[in-house]
Amino acid sequence: MSKIVVPGEMVADKPQRMAYTFSDGQKTYAVALSLLGDDGKLVPLEGPYEPLVEDIVVGYVTDIRFTGYSLSLGTPFSGFLSSRDTRATLSLGSIVQARIINVDEVRSIDLADARPLPGGSLEKISPVKVPRLIGKRNSMINLISQMTGCQLVVGRNGYVYVSGMGNHSLALKAIRMVEAQAHTTGLTDRVAALLNEERAKAGQPPMQMPREA
Amino acid sequence: MEVQKELKHQQLMQLLAAGKRADGRSKHDYRDIQITRDVLGNAEGSALCTIGKTQVICGVKVSLATPFPDRPNEGVLSTGAEFTPLGSHLFEPGPPKVEAIELARVVDRGIRSANMVDLASLSIPGSSKVKAVYVDLWIADHDGNLFDAAMLAAVAALSKCRMPKIENEKIAFGEYAGNLPVSCLPVSCTFGAIGGQHLLDPTLDEEKGVDGLFVLATTPDFVCAAQKSGWMGYTQKDIMEFVDISFKKGAELRRLLEQ
Amino acid sequence: MSGSANHPPLLREDGQRLDGRSLEDLRPISIEARVLNDADGSSLVIWGKNKILCGVYGPRECIPRHDESPYRAVLRCRYNMAPFCSLEEHGRSGPSRRSQELSKVITECFENVVIAESYPKSAIDVYIDVLQSDGGTRCASATAVSVALADAGIPMKDMVAAVAVGKVEGKLALDLSKEEDNWGESDNPIAIASRNGEILLYQMDGQLTRDEIDQAMSMAKIGAQKVHQLQVDALRRVYDGASDKRRVPLELQPGEVRQA
Repeated sequence: MSKIVVPGEMVADKPQRMAYTFSDGQKTYAVALSLLGDDGKLVPLEGPYEPLVEDIVVGYVTDIRFTGYSLSLGTPFSGFLSSRDTRATLSLGSIVQARIINVDEVRSIDLADARPLPGGSLEKISPVKVPRLIGKRNSMINLISQMTGCQLVVGRNGYVYVSGMGNHSLALKAIRMVEAQAHTTGLTDRVAALLNEERAKAGQPPMQMPREA
Repeated sequence: MEVQKELKHQQLMQLLAAGKRADGRSKHDYRDIQITRDVLGNAEGSALCTIGKTQVICGVKVSLATPFPDRPNEGVLSTGAEFTPLGSHLFEPGPPKVEAIELARVVDRGIRSANMVDLASLSIPGSSKVKAVYVDLWIADHDGNLFDAAMLAAVAALSKCRMPKIENEKIAFGEYAGNLPVSCLPVSCTFGAIGGQHLLDPTLDEEKGVDGLFVLATTPDFVCAAQKSGWMGYTQKDIMEFVDISFKKGAELRRLLEQ
Repeated sequence: MSGSANHPPLLREDGQRLDGRSLEDLRPISIEARVLNDADGSSLVIWGKNKILCGVYGPRECIPRHDESPYRAVLRCRYNMAPFCSLEEHGRSGPSRRSQELSKVITECFENVVIAESYPKSAIDVYIDVLQSDGGTRCASATAVSVALADAGIPMKDMVAAVAVGKVEGKLALDLSKEEDNWGESDNPIAIASRNGEILLYQMDGQLTRDEIDQAMSMAKIGAQKVHQLQVDALRRVYDGASDKRRVPLELQPGEVRQA
């Protein structure tokens, strides 16, 4: 059984190097509100995005200069996409998926491999809940996508692109449900039930959910 | 922030072209509204109004004040609004910005022109002082349509506001003598305008995308305040449509206040 | 804190306090986390008649820029009283000298525990609104801030719980009520780090002997442990079951007040 720990709560009685912990030289303590699993590892329940090289993020263009584009990523600082690192032509407000190629010591973010995501909306979820929204082998995102007809692109930074086609409001409802219940088990089944229920209201046949690997 | 507004505008246009709103409401529907009175004990009157995720707290304090020189026989009604920075990532600490001032003034006009509070009844016979009613609006959560939520909170708090006892021209705080008399319950309806379409009760996402807001406050018989906010222009027909919907929806809002 | 003789007695004949508490009792306290929708973390602390709402935003862009640090996030706590919070006169809005001082000491309390080095050049903004005041608002505020920061997932080495110890009728008493604060002989608001017991906020007025100061800190530690347990319970409740805990409307009048 996993257990919820609060900042400053002991998670190991000897010094250990582990994500989301610190040690005073004798014991190891949690630094964030987290789930402590049976394996002794911590999964934070809430928290800011920590940019890492190779992360795929989603953002939108806030400034265009000769050298490149500034992208809002919902982080304290915008990401920078150099003109050299992209062939796409973007305009102000373009929603873009990109890969982080560098993060410096003051958390400035350099991006590359931009892919424009046209004609949809941008939603924000808590960055620590991104893995849950994606699901094991993309199971959750595929489920929502198939049952609503919306294309979804989830950035590690917590921005989610939802395409304009399909049942947009139902897709948003499902995303909010995953965000609110990310710490619970059996979530894929409950999301599938919600989606089928709403489809039934709209007179659409229920869909078999994709199997969770 | 400007780019985000433009982005929201485009998204809103796309949705409206498909005849939809992001939360699935129709154009002239309100979100869920809840009104709770007496949420604070030190204030003479108080209420919390929620519209969807928007939450506005209203606290009413009654004090003694010197009347305005040109109205020696009338009490004082004063309305303020605080966009407290915990209520939204858009709010910053500091003196009230123009949006907060506009909100307070529109709510004040709605209450004042409806003659909801009889200012003459706030004078104290045989005294140079009068009673002052301070209405303070506290935006605890901003998800759009602050005007209607603030108006409902203010009217709910005023319509069940205790009057403190006055002894020797001093207020005996904590002791009460009856309630503030009110004559009617003004309510407001806010419309967001975009591409010739009008959305009642806009969410914050919708407010970011629309070209303007139009607020109308009504009593059962009269329009008692209006505010055109934003650059959008309107035809006479547009405004008459707002008036008709405001009277109809106003009756529903008033029923919530009467419960 | 005049210690004047012209005040009503603060202890009853049976030695209990006017509200029926013993000298070691806290007032009833209710703590809820995640009460606001837009804030990254939030809390509502109802402590006796105090009602304190706290919201955290960040780490986010630091505006104005000249406040920022290349080494760490700046932490900015703002303590603010609503004009309708007290039973007496309508208050003016805007920060008073008192609220600016409290903002400073509360900020410094949390600078000790927040791991700000992970977010250089950004800001963590903590806003505290006193909706209703009844004595002891700074301790209730520090308690609320700790819960809201944890709710936002801001990395911290420790939680912080605060409680005041005062002196009434010559005796030390935990968690002063408004009357006890007004008429008592000393007030010592104390915030304590829950893991290592360090004192992170300490203010004092009135007069205490050396031994009384020592005893006051010991009493505060016991009180703070009880407050800490309520903080932990509140944070765990956010993740009870599968429902979204961001409630609308705010429960400013809770049906059940959890006794410490």
